[in-house]
Amino acid sequence: MMKRLFAGLYALALISLISLQLPVQAQTAERSVGPFGYDASKEVTLNGTVLSVLAKPSPGMVMGSHLLLTTPSGPVDASLGRFGLMGKGALSVAPGQQVEVTGVMKTVKDKQIFLARTVKAGGEVYTIRNEHGFPVSPQARERANGKTAQKGESL
Amino acid sequence: MNRKAYASILAVVLLALSFLTGCGSSSKAAPPVVLIAATSGTPQSATVGTTFAAPLVATVTTGGSPTSGVAVTFTAPSTGASGTFAGGVNTATTNASGVATSATFTANGTAGGPYTVTATVAGVSTPANFSLTNTAGAVASSNYAFYLSGLEAVNEVSGIPNFYALAGSVTIDANGNILGGEQDYNDGFGFTSPQPSGDTITGGTLTLDATTGQGTLTLITDNADLGVSGTETLGVQFVNTNHALIVQFDGTATSSGSMDLQTLPSTLSGGYAFTLSGVDSGYLPVVAGGVFSISGTALQNGLLDVDDSGTVTLGTAFTGTISAPDSFGRGTITGTGIAITIKYYIVGPEAIRIIDVDPSVSGVDSDSFVGSAFGQGAGSFSNASLGSSVFGVESNSFGLPFYAAAGMFTTIPASGTFQGVADNDEESLVFNDSPISGVYSIASNGYGSLTMGNLGDIVTLGIYMTDPSLNLNDPNNTTSGLGGALVADLDTSLNGTGVLIPQTDTSAANFKDNYAFGAQDYNLLNLSNPGWEFDFVGQGSVTGGVLTGTGLVSDPFFAFGAIPPSGTDSGVTFSGTAVADTNNVGRYTIPLAITAGAGSPIDFQVVIYQASGGQLFWLDEDDFSLFLGSLQQQGSLTGLPAARRSAAKTKPKQKQ
Repeated sequence: MMKRLFAGLYALALISLISLQLPVQAQTAERSVGPFGYDASKEVTLNGTVLSVLAKPSPGMVMGSHLLLTTPSGPVDASLGRFGLMGKGALSVAPGQQVEVTGVMKTVKDKQIFLARTVKAGGEVYTIRNEHGFPVSPQARERANGKTAQKGESL
Repeated sequence: MNRKAYASILAVVLLALSFLTGCGSSSKAAPPVVLIAATSGTPQSATVGTTFAAPLVATVTTGGSPTSGVAVTFTAPSTGASGTFAGGVNTATTNASGVATSATFTANGTAGGPYTVTATVAGVSTPANFSLTNTAGAVASSNYAFYLSGLEAVNEVSGIPNFYALAGSVTIDANGNILGGEQDYNDGFGFTSPQPSGDTITGGTLTLDATTGQGTLTLITDNADLGVSGTETLGVQFVNTNHALIVQFDGTATSSGSMDLQTLPSTLSGGYAFTLSGVDSGYLPVVAGGVFSISGTALQNGLLDVDDSGTVTLGTAFTGTISAPDSFGRGTITGTGIAITIKYYIVGPEAIRIIDVDPSVSGVDSDSFVGSAFGQGAGSFSNASLGSSVFGVESNSFGLPFYAAAGMFTTIPASGTFQGVADNDEESLVFNDSPISGVYSIASNGYGSLTMGNLGDIVTLGIYMTDPSLNLNDPNNTTSGLGGALVADLDTSLNGTGVLIPQTDTSAANFKDNYAFGAQDYNLLNLSNPGWEFDFVGQGSVTGGVLTGTGLVSDPFFAFGAIPPSGTDSGVTFSGTAVADTNNVGRYTIPLAITAGAGSPIDFQVVIYQASGGQLFWLDEDDFSLFLGSLQQQGSLTGLPAARRSAAKTKPKQKQ
């Protein structure tokens, strides 16, 4: 009797495990590991001097604008994404200026590129990307300045 | 010159001589007066496209006496409401009674009037006038549901364009007249259709080349913010009489979508899979996907996956309420928590387009998204439901970082594994011909996921299975290209949506004949302009792998330059030779030359994945551009609305 009960419980537990496994598997979001995968735990902050400001990428660079920096550890190509230098609230910086850039260093096309999340320049902090590395548009910057989403929506 | 013509000239010369002779005989004698008068056939009316009951009859007299043998020319208006004479014969010669009777006159496709058809005789300055009217009459009509998403070239914020979504339904008669319709528009930044009514479509015209199925659709709306002073122009490319690829084509915005014949069911019911794509209330890119079922007005058993600019939430349960549709197949979904109000437009019992219509109001921001829901049929699904497949997935027009990917794979259902090959372009970073593999699982309700490696940042796809008897590109097609799933890319560093369809035929020999094609492109071609998108539709043929086609490019940000300076290019040529990838049967590479306006061709490095001879995806993978689109084999175009009209000479307005 006990053996049967244990067998039954074992089967029940097994079914439970199997039935739970699918939803658990379906609900796992893997972290992207590709060129734009942004792991905030690997964020670093660099201090440097602006060597040049590129509104358009040079050949071989990823899309969007770039800051070329001179840092104590060497030159750094900081990617600002498509909107970093565009629109209201965009980063305003000039060659020779000191900046503090927070982001993640990635290797893309065998080159080191720094995905900038924030740039601090002239006492202002400019948000370039969100915490997942998605570039922030002028619309998003405007929205971020105090407005709220409608109640009743999740997107 | 024939004998009749000589007779006519002789008669007129004799008339003139007799007139001159009269003048010479006595300077005080009144000259004989030559007159032409309309003696019957005026006024009268006929239904557009039909023959007027009576011929047009004119009588020529000289000095009050009938004049025979005179050539009379009948002339109808060259534009607008008018008509044509049988056989193109618009002259007649007067008989012994001085009477000239026209060939049968048939009203053209434009209702209107009264308008004037003139009858003239050489040397007589005053014509005879016939007053005719083309009445609308009872012409067969059909409803079509459409949806689009893309980028505005108006209402920019700090000079940066907005994302927008548009869905609607129109009634088009057999002559291409738009008899009415409804639509909902939302850019999440002030340009939205009023609710709950939406925009009313009051008129417009579908103008097509009957041979190619290519043309334009103008929609006159009551929303002055949209298009050119409320009139939107779409470029259309029919695949068959039920299905067209569409782009906005008026220089005010650019987008890609689909237009499909609408069949209203008595009710919507059963299981549905869906995906959505757009921007969230913070104006960051968001995609969603999932499943739900409909029973009466209850939307239930919902499971929702969301990727909100990298924040991924999976498997959230939801319910809601769905209202009955109106006569245009438009209804409302509320209470889901996805948005406050979603409008839907029915394509058919198992296909609906869905659009978020929440407006931005003072102090409160809104989102904007659009997508589709497809029926799941009787479906009880499992891993075995997903077999050899081809997929395409792309970020939306505000989906930074931009990317597009396509590929193909085979599955082993028992182990829930797959392997194949794919291509991916992430903002100029190209993963070309990449071997892919991974695991997947499909639950009985069709809700599933797929995890892969080796394709850049694409790792996790939500998979939402649809009715195996449904064609996802062409929902009215019940015979080919059936089955598949909707796809949402649920990654932490990018997001997008797409479809996955069974791969049933990889034979290069069947990649042939006529195709309709289109794509949505994001690019760096014109960095002096803040916009980044162009869209195109076209039509052409494939013979021995050689594609030649002609199409319409919506280019309001001038990727192809500013010639003509309208942002819309017609007669654009597409050419290239597809080379089969012998290592991956079903995959091709094709350098595609697109020549717009008077400019030089731009060469795009494109890869094609073949699901069958009828459906293929194509992907541009350049470092300056990326696009995803489809090639869909053309079926019969017989019976297209407006098919009797010639191709439009579009005169799009400049960006406002």
